Amino acid sequence: MENQYANEIWPLAIYFGMVIMLVVTMLALSWVLGQKRREAATNDPFESGVVSVGGSQIRISVEFYLVAIFFVIFDLETLFIFAWAVAFFELGWAGYLSITVFIGVLVLALVYQCRSGALEWGNKTRTGLREDQLTTGEST
Amino acid sequence: MNGSQMQALMPILMLSLTAIVLMIQASIKRDEKATWIITVVGILLALWGAGYARDFSQPVTILLQVDNWGLFFTALVLLASLVTVVLSQDSFSSEGGSKEEYYLLLVLSALGAVILIQSSHMASLLLGMELMGVALYAMIAFPKKGLLPLEAAVKYLVLSGCASAILLFGFALLYAATGELSYKGIGEKAALAYISNPLLVMAGTAMVTAGIAFKLSLVPFHMWTPDVYQGAPTPVTGFLATVSKGAVFVALARIYMDAELHQYESLILALSVLAAFSMLIGNLLALLQEDIKRLLAYSSIAHFGYLLIVLIALTGSEMASEAVTFYLAAYILTTLGAFTVIARVSREDQQKSQISEFEGLFWRNKIQATALTIAMLSFAGIPLTAGFMAKFFVINVAIQGSHWFLLSALVIGSAIGIYYYLRIIFSMSKTSGNDIGFRDRSGDITALLLTVLILMLGSWPQPFIAFAGGL
Repeated sequence: MENQYANEIWPLAIYFGMVIMLVVTMLALSWVLGQKRREAATNDPFESGVVSVGGSQIRISVEFYLVAIFFVIFDLETLFIFAWAVAFFELGWAGYLSITVFIGVLVLALVYQCRSGALEWGNKTRTGLREDQLTTGEST
Repeated sequence: MNGSQMQALMPILMLSLTAIVLMIQASIKRDEKATWIITVVGILLALWGAGYARDFSQPVTILLQVDNWGLFFTALVLLASLVTVVLSQDSFSSEGGSKEEYYLLLVLSALGAVILIQSSHMASLLLGMELMGVALYAMIAFPKKGLLPLEAAVKYLVLSGCASAILLFGFALLYAATGELSYKGIGEKAALAYISNPLLVMAGTAMVTAGIAFKLSLVPFHMWTPDVYQGAPTPVTGFLATVSKGAVFVALARIYMDAELHQYESLILALSVLAAFSMLIGNLLALLQEDIKRLLAYSSIAHFGYLLIVLIALTGSEMASEAVTFYLAAYILTTLGAFTVIARVSREDQQKSQISEFEGLFWRNKIQATALTIAMLSFAGIPLTAGFMAKFFVINVAIQGSHWFLLSALVIGSAIGIYYYLRIIFSMSKTSGNDIGFRDRSGDITALLLTVLILMLGSWPQPFIAFAGGL
């Protein structure tokens, strides 16, 4: 049993070794042969010849992330509906009932998202506060 | 799925319904008070459902197994959720001041735990675990103030995600080896697959064990526990310690029994090592803690080490399944009792959970100080409390199965444990002179009820033992 594994696995081991050797050779050769410079602009990132401006850690509005998440969620839900649709006749009324409940819950979730302001851009009304109350933070 | 199967799923249906009603309520008109009432009513309905479903015990599809044992733990988990809801009411505030979503998440998390408890298939196991986990991450990060909750949530999210991935990979390997995903199916084919393909089965089992050990925070998968326990708001910590861990342990016990894993010596050895390390390291590290939530985190690591002994000795003793039931029930009640008091004492600021904060508690609030004392004694396993009977069961089972090595780890661990449990009691009885009493009706009543339950389990356990034996 052990031998069989060894027989199957040795080309993989050699391949793995060769990959490591190749990488080490490439790095070592360029380090030995390449020129070494320490100048003012050496460590700057190359931006098509233009000097880069600003930091790389920009704050991105959280709405982009929300939209992406909603896309993924609803995309996935469509998959479930497809899976039901291809077996429509086989599943019969039980399947129809299940998918009705499923879509019903999905619609409710969408209503909840709309009402809680997840689909709005900019000022959120998630907390149920009016826009002028948001700054003071008092609840209705 | 026929009518009687739907009736068997009553607790799950009730919780799902509650979650949907909460969502509708939040989208119509936000009102924290109404949300709180709906949540309490929903969980009570689910508790009723757990009793109702007893007459319909049966496998529901291949995914779920409804039986009395699972329904008992369902009821226990729902009780713990109810206590959490009561404690959360005025314990912490959220961004924007209202926390309707918190209760929604709590119901979803409880739903995941119930599914996990009743699962009989890897798919439902993962589904329940993720539903429970994902809701928990958000619950941990819910409070507005401070960075600690956020840190705890991110840590738990990342590490838990890794653990789930490992678990999933383990399932995949087991599926590749056996072609089955239900616990029973894997159990039937694993022995044969182990002969033809030992590496696959062994790697798969090891990965599944590691994934579950992470959720139970067994050493060496315990690193996340103290930080998450400390950072989370105290009611959520209590929820995590009781509902989440309890449900995962029930699932582990179910896999273990249905798949008949006790016949694999290497797995028993691995579990023994995990148990011994958890007992010793959990108790030793608890000695160093100044924060009571961190201390209880390490203590929970040790307690799940004790519980593993029962699992390891499962076949050697007739008492073992009763022992699992009794220990888990005692652990859940005791933990709830302790966290109730901690949540109420640090109500103003959830991060104020240093042991020194509890100085003079006997003068400030007698009922809660007594409750915390009883809970600590129960953790330590002092007679007349539930913890003593539980430990008695474990030791009995370990002797019957002659697991002397584990037994000695348990004895050493318990001896160390007494020191740090008593330290909290000493701290409470130290007066600083200007202790101002605080009144807190809901906290007092909850603590009192849990204390009575703990004392009843410890001093008059016969009815419960008979009940557990009949499950």
